[in-house]
Amino acid sequence: MKRSSILTSVIGAAALAALAHGAVAQETLTINSFGGDYEKIHRELVITPFEEMYNVKVEVVTAYSADTLAQLRAQKDNPQFDVVHFSGGLEHAAAAEGLLSPIEPGELTNYEHMYSFAVAGLDRGIGPTYSTAVIGILYNTEKISDAPTSWKDLTDAAYHDRVLLTDAASNTYGMLGFLMINQVAGGSLDDVEPGLEFVKGILPTSTVVSKSPEIQQNFAQGNAWIAPYAQDYAYTLTKAGLPVKFVQPEEGGVLAPITVNLVAGTGKRDLALKFIDFSIRAEASKGWAEALRYTPTNKNAELSDEVASQVVYGEEEVSKLVTFDAEKIAEKRPSWNEAWSRAIAQ
Amino acid sequence: MPSGAVRLKREPAILLSPGLLFLLLAFFFPAVQLLAQSFLTFGAGPSHFTLEHYAKVIVDDFYAGVALRTFRLALIITALCLLMGFPLAVVINRAGPVLRTALIVLLILPLMTSVVIRTFGWLVILGPGGVLSWTLQQLGLIDRSISLMHTEAGIVIAMVQVLLPFLVLTTLGSLGQIPAALEEASRVMGAGFFRSIYHVTLPLSVPGLASGSLLVFALSISSFITPSLVGGVRLQVMAGSIYQQMTGSFDWGFGAALSVILLVITLMLIIPYMVVTSRAGGRA
Repeated sequence: MKRSSILTSVIGAAALAALAHGAVAQETLTINSFGGDYEKIHRELVITPFEEMYNVKVEVVTAYSADTLAQLRAQKDNPQFDVVHFSGGLEHAAAAEGLLSPIEPGELTNYEHMYSFAVAGLDRGIGPTYSTAVIGILYNTEKISDAPTSWKDLTDAAYHDRVLLTDAASNTYGMLGFLMINQVAGGSLDDVEPGLEFVKGILPTSTVVSKSPEIQQNFAQGNAWIAPYAQDYAYTLTKAGLPVKFVQPEEGGVLAPITVNLVAGTGKRDLALKFIDFSIRAEASKGWAEALRYTPTNKNAELSDEVASQVVYGEEEVSKLVTFDAEKIAEKRPSWNEAWSRAIAQ
Repeated sequence: MPSGAVRLKREPAILLSPGLLFLLLAFFFPAVQLLAQSFLTFGAGPSHFTLEHYAKVIVDDFYAGVALRTFRLALIITALCLLMGFPLAVVINRAGPVLRTALIVLLILPLMTSVVIRTFGWLVILGPGGVLSWTLQQLGLIDRSISLMHTEAGIVIAMVQVLLPFLVLTTLGSLGQIPAALEEASRVMGAGFFRSIYHVTLPLSVPGLASGSLLVFALSISSFITPSLVGGVRLQVMAGSIYQQMTGSFDWGFGAALSVILLVITLMLIIPYMVVTSRAGGRA
């Protein structure tokens, strides 16, 4: 008898505690992040401080941009995300399909502090760019003494068997690198033949990979000495102990924005807007540059000289970077993917 | 008794229904939806009915090449698994309990490791300057380092490693049912070791071999993680193409058409195979 009454009171207390906890349940915001080191920094710079500041819970779904877009499409009538991050220009495709919501400049307190290109397109649903990667050439400083100066240097016979290309069909940085090579070879967004010819020319003596860890692997094994890829990745490789440096070729580096976007139909619009505002503040911009060498997009982000030398610092410098018409990319990507897959297929 | 007969039919149906319902919702409906998607356009504008996806696959020699490679590799993998798996199964069947357990554990161990770790293992062995290359160089068979990564041979090796257990274990099931007395009888009658296996053991293990090889074939046709990690992005297999269409190009209609074609060709190969082997093997 005694045992069962103690048991009942324990159960009753537990039930009350659960009910009480449920009564003050926190609001939840669902976002995506890109996993690994990136997600870790993301949490440090934005997610955890946001949770503490507004006393909410942020649920993070680890998914690359392409998977996130696929999920948004599938969830069109009942979105499970409130805020999504896209890299690689997929926000344009998403906005065109009505999956993202427009934002008024007045709704973001940090709006005036952003570079102008970073907030262009808010009215069409394209969220602000909170940091950007720069695509150029990575090279092994020990094996290559004269830094490459041009995109065309990839054909240099000295780099035979040591060129590493990234699959343009599955990797956005690979695609942007390819578009730049195409432009240098005389092509345009409407005609990618010159680019494909260039790639086919160096294909027999180069390796093609599709995921960024494979790039690290190939550099570490000495299989690759030179690769078109992103500036932030050069930092990742140097942190891993590899003698790799990033250089912006004379024809220009490519801008690769990473955006934070408001999902259309979310039930938590106000909270989502606060999160977006929080993501673009100067402190976060600075943090991304310091942690991973992403180029800041907030005018008030002040970087030390060392960090500034490893990113593209200042609005003027950033405006010199090459950009490609995102709408055209979204439209033509499937045909490019096919043409690319055909060109590299064995 | 009539009431007894009716009750016997109802109970199995009730027991089966949760499983059937699950299969219906989780498998049948999505498969039908995929079939429907293969006839629709995707992308800009509203979806409408079209046969263009199928036309593209048939007319375009690129995808025909990808399909050919997929099936060719699957056949090679199945053949290798049969050649290696049958003797292995016979040995395991006759082995003592300790050796038997040890061999089975060795066989299954690769299945228990994550595919990414396994692939990195293969990179170390097959990669440029890897163990295989080093050994061949030491033996003087080659003079510069080779790499089997990003080759079809590499894909076959990596796939056989994980699919062999399936064949061996199903064959073991068949072998276990063969009475030892049969083999002993054939030996007593004068058949040598190999003749005995060829005339007695092999025909009786056909059901196990058939279902094992079907499993291996179906798994190698549809696999894409190992081929894409070991074979690289330049050696496309059908499952890789489908994945790329669905998540890279977002052309769900075309990806669905590729999936349907993969299924149809697989069925066209498997069904005759099942008919032939069930006749040859009979019921063990």
